[in-house]
Amino acid sequence: MKKLNRRSFLSSSIKTAMVGAAASSPLGAAFAQSTRWSNWSGGQTCQPAGRYDISSEDQLSDILKTTRGVIRPIGSGHSFSPLVPTDGHLVVIDQLSGILDHDPDTLRATIGAGSRLGDLGSQLEAIGQGMFNLPDIDRQTLAGATATGTHGTGVELQSLSGYITGLRLVTPSGEVLDLDESSGDLFDAARVNIGALGVITRIEMQNRKTYKLKKREWTAPTEDILANFDELAASHRHFEIFPLVYSDYSSVLQIDESIEPIGQTIIPSVETSLADLRPLGVNATPAEKLARNNARAQTVEVTEAVDLSYKLLTNLRNNRFNEMEYSVPIEAGADCVREILKTIYDQGIDVDFPLEYRYVGAEDPWLSMAYGDHPHATISIHRTAFEDYQPYFDIIEPIFWKYGGRPHWGKLHSLGHRELAQLYPRYRDFMGIRESLDPDGRMLNPHLRRLFNA
Amino acid sequence: MRIPSAKILMLCLLFVLGACSSSSSEQSTSSADFSPAFMGQNIDVEVASKWMRSCALCHVRGEADAPVIGDTEEWQRRLAQGEESILRRVIDGYRAMPPLGYCMSCEESDFREMIAFMAGAGQ
Repeated sequence: MKKLNRRSFLSSSIKTAMVGAAASSPLGAAFAQSTRWSNWSGGQTCQPAGRYDISSEDQLSDILKTTRGVIRPIGSGHSFSPLVPTDGHLVVIDQLSGILDHDPDTLRATIGAGSRLGDLGSQLEAIGQGMFNLPDIDRQTLAGATATGTHGTGVELQSLSGYITGLRLVTPSGEVLDLDESSGDLFDAARVNIGALGVITRIEMQNRKTYKLKKREWTAPTEDILANFDELAASHRHFEIFPLVYSDYSSVLQIDESIEPIGQTIIPSVETSLADLRPLGVNATPAEKLARNNARAQTVEVTEAVDLSYKLLTNLRNNRFNEMEYSVPIEAGADCVREILKTIYDQGIDVDFPLEYRYVGAEDPWLSMAYGDHPHATISIHRTAFEDYQPYFDIIEPIFWKYGGRPHWGKLHSLGHRELAQLYPRYRDFMGIRESLDPDGRMLNPHLRRLFNA
Repeated sequence: MRIPSAKILMLCLLFVLGACSSSSSEQSTSSADFSPAFMGQNIDVEVASKWMRSCALCHVRGEADAPVIGDTEEWQRRLAQGEESILRRVIDGYRAMPPLGYCMSCEESDFREMIAFMAGAGQ
């Protein structure tokens, strides 16, 4: 077997990672442009200089040590905000995936950070484990979901980042750091890191034994639910509503642990989907839309299903959209929802998508939407990927600010470092750690420079 | 290095279908479903690895009406629109398929080989 010295190994390693026209270019170092990158919704694009397709932590460390210029780690492109776009290089960690180690006593598993959530469920099931909670979209990578503070639903449950018990961070200088709760501030900063501290390659998650859930969905008057939301959220493992626009009704979703056999226990005879609850069109008045949607909402039948946790909590989403989400203090949540619904109605905004309203448990990662001692309410607005989201989001975003909202890092918002430092108590501390790990700003694209005043 | 389609197919059945067991689509896939043209081709091992981590998520089972690997008749119908047209749709996204088809490390040359492979028109 041909042996390589370190210099030639390094060169070979980087060439192997460097994909695209650049790698085979006869021009050598004069790299051609790589294929254009877009996020899932198509709302964010960039023309990177190249992509590094990482196959090992050593290779990643070598690249960070021996190359220059901006790099941005990418997961599966599910962030709606411009976290990725760069004319520098993209770092892809898809190959760093799967369960690397696990402990049947502590129920912890070390997972390659490039793993997609939708693939992990069955892999964890095979070792008798299940994640405590999961977000809605199953194609996200564990690295991307945790870097952005992505969460599921449950007032007693935390985001994915809240269940991280250890992680490996390859810093912008190529240093490899293994962090856990004994690492103090750096650990709490790295668990939600926006891809600003380096590249996370592996994550140890605190899991639990495999479990089943029972899901129940129906429609109910929004005000009836909002009036009792605290009690409902406290009495169910997961409880959330999708307030319908131009309607007095919400789609309600509650999920609890179950010992019932797996199966769809109630299938409506004639299911009326949310797609049937669209307004009448741009020419209908708000009052006409309201009457139509209320009538439709009352015909929706109850649906119930029992399945393994990961099969009920995450979904494959084929209808692409853009999204804005903020968290607000629980006591402000209902009023914030009411004001958004009223604004849509009063201004006749042509939108079909329901809102989403749920609670997330308090947690320690500094940049978590629910950082602190109290749970938070989160509210989302959406627009299909084929519509211009900006006018709608521009109208609604100030309502979130009015209620003290904190933005989701992976979703659209327009805040900069000054506002963010007022909303996240440890924001300036995070900025300090970022500066110390990346003084040259290798991890910063224009969006992150704005977030961190760099 | 190139590997044969039969081996890819076996890997699909072992891993991809298992990982997708939560899907509402229960379309079954066996080697009997594939044409000789598909079964006789090879694909670069690195491209195959990328394909397994991205395109296979939908193109093995036909999620969201994605054309199924090895359905040469359906793929020929699509190829009739021109390879460049299909390539643009992959890069920009088309209907339920997100831009880049979830392959964040893929370049145009990778996509071209993947399209040819799925269509049974590869080497």
